[in-house]
Amino acid sequence: MSKQLGMVIDASLCLDCKGCLSACKQANQVPEGKWRNWIKDGDLEPAAAARRRVVFQPGGCMHCDQPTCVSACPTGATYKDRRDGTVVINRDLCIGCGQCLPACPYGARYRHPHLRVADKCDFCVQRRADGLEPACVSTCPTKARVFGDLNDPHSPAGRLMKKHAADQTLTQVVNRRSPTDPNLYYLGDPGPKHWPAQAKMPEALEFFKNLVKPAVNLVVGVTGLGVVAMLAKQLLMPGDAPPEHPPQGGDHE
Amino acid sequence: MTNHRTSALSRRGFLKLSGAAAAAAAGGVGLFGPPGVRAAQPTSRLVSKYSVCDMCFNKCSLIARVRDGVVEKLDPNPKFLKSRGMLCARGNAGVRQLYDPDRLKHPLLRKGARGEGRWQRLSWDQALDHAAEKLQAIAERYTRCGVLFMAGSDMQSTFLHRFAKVFGSYNALSHESMCLIAGTRAFLDTYGEVPIPDMLYTKYVIMVGANRFESLVTPDSIDLMTAMKNGCQLVVLDPRYTRTAALAHQYYAIRPHTDMAFMLAVAHVLINEELYDKQFVAERCYGLEQLAAHVQRYSPEWAAKETDIPAEDIRRLARELAAAAPQAMVYPGRRSSNYHDSTQIRRSFAIVNALLGNWDRPGGLTAARMVGLKGGVPFEEPFYEDNPDDRIDHGPAKLMFEEEGSFKIARDAVIAGKPYPVKGFVVYKTNPMGTGANRQKTIEMFNTLDFVLDIDITMSDTAWMSDLVLPSQCYLERQDPCSAQQGSSACACVVMRDPVVEPMFQAKPVFWIMQQLARRLKLGQYFDFTIDDYRKAQTAEVPEAMTALRRDGVYYNPSKLYGVYEGRIFKTRSKKIELFNETYQKMGLDPLPVYHPPADPGQGRFRLVVGRNALITQSSSQNNSLLVQLQPDNDLWMHPAAAAELGLHDGSYVMVQSPAGRQAIRLRITRRTRPDTVYMHTGFGVLSRGLSNLQGKGASIAAVLTDGMDQLTGNMAMHETIVTVTKGGA
Amino acid sequence: MSSPMIQRHTNTGIFMHWFNAGCWLFLLATGLGLLQNPDLQPLGAWYPGLLRAVFGGGDGLLGAHIAVALLWLAVWAGYYLRFAGRYAVPFLVSIFTLDPRRDLQWIVKKNFQMTLGYKMMARLVRPLGWDGRLPEQEYYNAGQKLAAQVMVLGSLVLAVSGLILAASSWIIDTPNVPWVQWSITIHYLAAGLTFAIVLVHIYMAAIAKEERPALWSMFNGQVPAAYAEHHHKLWYDKLSK
Repeated sequence: MSKQLGMVIDASLCLDCKGCLSACKQANQVPEGKWRNWIKDGDLEPAAAARRRVVFQPGGCMHCDQPTCVSACPTGATYKDRRDGTVVINRDLCIGCGQCLPACPYGARYRHPHLRVADKCDFCVQRRADGLEPACVSTCPTKARVFGDLNDPHSPAGRLMKKHAADQTLTQVVNRRSPTDPNLYYLGDPGPKHWPAQAKMPEALEFFKNLVKPAVNLVVGVTGLGVVAMLAKQLLMPGDAPPEHPPQGGDHE
Repeated sequence: MTNHRTSALSRRGFLKLSGAAAAAAAGGVGLFGPPGVRAAQPTSRLVSKYSVCDMCFNKCSLIARVRDGVVEKLDPNPKFLKSRGMLCARGNAGVRQLYDPDRLKHPLLRKGARGEGRWQRLSWDQALDHAAEKLQAIAERYTRCGVLFMAGSDMQSTFLHRFAKVFGSYNALSHESMCLIAGTRAFLDTYGEVPIPDMLYTKYVIMVGANRFESLVTPDSIDLMTAMKNGCQLVVLDPRYTRTAALAHQYYAIRPHTDMAFMLAVAHVLINEELYDKQFVAERCYGLEQLAAHVQRYSPEWAAKETDIPAEDIRRLARELAAAAPQAMVYPGRRSSNYHDSTQIRRSFAIVNALLGNWDRPGGLTAARMVGLKGGVPFEEPFYEDNPDDRIDHGPAKLMFEEEGSFKIARDAVIAGKPYPVKGFVVYKTNPMGTGANRQKTIEMFNTLDFVLDIDITMSDTAWMSDLVLPSQCYLERQDPCSAQQGSSACACVVMRDPVVEPMFQAKPVFWIMQQLARRLKLGQYFDFTIDDYRKAQTAEVPEAMTALRRDGVYYNPSKLYGVYEGRIFKTRSKKIELFNETYQKMGLDPLPVYHPPADPGQGRFRLVVGRNALITQSSSQNNSLLVQLQPDNDLWMHPAAAAELGLHDGSYVMVQSPAGRQAIRLRITRRTRPDTVYMHTGFGVLSRGLSNLQGKGASIAAVLTDGMDQLTGNMAMHETIVTVTKGGA
Repeated sequence: MSSPMIQRHTNTGIFMHWFNAGCWLFLLATGLGLLQNPDLQPLGAWYPGLLRAVFGGGDGLLGAHIAVALLWLAVWAGYYLRFAGRYAVPFLVSIFTLDPRRDLQWIVKKNFQMTLGYKMMARLVRPLGWDGRLPEQEYYNAGQKLAAQVMVLGSLVLAVSGLILAASSWIIDTPNVPWVQWSITIHYLAAGLTFAIVLVHIYMAAIAKEERPALWSMFNGQVPAAYAEHHHKLWYDKLSK
């Protein structure tokens, strides 16, 4: 199987200490007020039944197999990198149109306020190049986040994938109407389950796809047919000329 | 100069660098950089250097990732077992402390009125000459004890205390009388030493008066979670629904100041149902009979009325605790600056633990392990004849720790000028103005002083109200002595700091500052050594430590952990664990914890409690440009029923008022606190205008808290404040 | 050459024509290649793939597209500033000055003529009360005017929407990104419609045999007088006065 970087997260180990948020912010110079990852706490209120343990859910971009953000990107600046399975943003190709933002059910993306391009978790690509684990993974007090190639049973995350493949304890957190097949797996109870939104394709993109593209196809097609017809006539009726046309002075050649 | 929030970098010239490099790079890259030019790649190799975190007191070993002389990131040291190889949110934000544009850059002398914020820049020579002159003048006029010294938790605080001693003042305080000394006293006076909980192997924990999943203590916080993964049950009793409560198996919103009632009832059940460890108690404990008689009146039914925890639940919790013993514990806790009887409250914790027989055993309370570190370069204290007989804070608290003192008592004494005048105050790495309950009193104290010298890295409230402010170094710039650490089953270890980067601005380590002041006061011989000399003296008996520290960033002493007390006596009067403390009896104190019902706040009034979360370290971290995004300000937690009764709305501004003072604050209506209890985070509502991220943010709890005191230790009692909350005030 | 030659285009005009043509086709080709999203790409995945291979990746392609677009805009801006009175405004006036009856007749007849031949055209327009001759034309014939109008307006829309797109990651802040999103759609629409006209223009100018003199004039600036008289009678008459 091909490489698929991802995480297996044991949400029940999460203290909601925000170490992963802070580490990510520093490692990736995430701008003020923006976050590349999160901890969902559902409803942090004491329950009527005193014996309900809260499960905090650490997360981030899920590097989905069916990424709706990629479908919303006109230029291919956001794409699924087949070499490691990550969903990548090419900052130099991104035009900052922001259409991928509502297209992500997890709200994993933001538009960088200074660079003005889409930004999100890249599993710390620079740190990986330096031989380090993603910042959120290495800093986590309880090591709730386990990272690696999900398809490689020798990687830390792959080992857990293999170990729990049969016992049905691995969960993906998805919105039923936007099944993106995420690559963040939760071991056991993932905590809050119903927060992902339905992926929203921007109106301009839908208009492009459903109206503008067919309309342009039609107009160019009709015009093209006309040109073809003229060319056919020129080739089939070479002698045709208006009867009152005065003789030309001849061609240049 | 090194503004961390450099913006407007072109996307194509965007460098993943921070601080100076980013600022430098920004200058060279236009906003409209040519398209198609690839992002600049880091030009040089990432260098990794060990250091020790200083964002809280835990001192976690870390690895600084440095590129081109700029710290990019701090990572946990995976070999550091005490933290279980982690770095928390604050630890990660340490880079922002280093490159904080609000850092103090050079010595500053107050020009205007105290707290007015007018400063004159001085050279180091001018500043040190001035400080030496002032200290000398106070010494001559009021004796050397006329200068009060105070240092927070820091690997160089020892040098401030050393200076105080050689200068000749007994009046040296640590920050601990605003923190943990009541708990320390209670366990010391029960066990003869302060035990360290072995969280990793425990099976049942009752946590009261502690919030270990938010107020992180290594390795306890992490090991408790691991233990829970392995089946440990956690019971949390807290008036607030903290994250620790949320993660617990059982949670009870206990009525504030009734922890002792719960513990005495648990002892009642353990004794009456004979669930305690009979052999252990018979052999190693003193005073079971007295205890058994004492707790008869503290039945679960009685305690239920005090604590709001049903009697059958108290009974069940006691039985569950006993069933899991000795791998079970009442968590000793740490900060115990809560009530006037906090030492006795914590004594009740210690007693229940003793009954469980968990001492010196896996999953129980363990003794301090041998680390092997010595005290550094020794010195003989000079004697000054004209000094008074005692510390200024001597007397009111019979069991005060002389080496820690009591800020509460000292402050009152300074204001009163009795028993003798104190006119100088030298503060390092602690912020009594920001954290000391009853801020108005701290201001009053400062106003009676002739000379306040504060050594800090930023303009804290204490610095803001001082006469002379000296810039100290960020921990990442420092060479520090070795520091011993205890982690129960995790480790007994040593860490140390070497500079990760060159110091910025004119910041100097407090060691250098003390050395310079000592030389000016003709006391130079007491500081005639280097940090290297000091470390060498510290590690004289464990010479292998330095090699390990350089190689791994940490040295472990493989000393014995369990069974240390086999064939050994306890360092108490009875040589046993003192359920009944005869020394207390002889001093006229309660030899067993006697419960006194808490004051009822009264209709429409609330008890204001103090607490922590994993994003704030007392008052020192709030201005951090990263942490401020996670914790931008504070608000006042109030139960919806209470808010409805007062007609208060969520998000509206209210005035919270106590006899100590009042503050306007935003209201947060939440079921996460009891209807009779309100709460706010520490460290906002600052006086200082030198903390740019905190201007106009939140309210100061120190300004509202009344300054009660634990009667035995002089520990500040910060949970005895009764407040009113009224509409408006913004 | 039996017919005398008369000057039709200035060197500046010739340069601008070919510069515009080159830029326009380059921008069309690269712009189309930027659409990698299969829902939007009309030609299939091979096309953006090929373009990216040629330009060393999507960022190179985007860079080239923006660079040429800016050059194109800069040159046009310079042209309009430098030659506003001399060429630009007269050009715009001439292409936007319509004689509805004559121009409509020309368009209809020319279409039939080009596709079905002269005889058929003459036969088909007779019911409308027209004869088989094309109406006399000005410097630009009706077809050229129509093409020029579409190209000018299309280019204007392309320039504005393109500038918004380019500015997106330079100065446009997040609350305003709907402008960017709609600019993508409008940019494509304008390019598509303009391209339809360009197709006809290329055929007429470069492939149709009878317009061959016009093609040559775009190199040497001159047309035979007889061609001018026949194709642009009104202009020819004005020159002859």
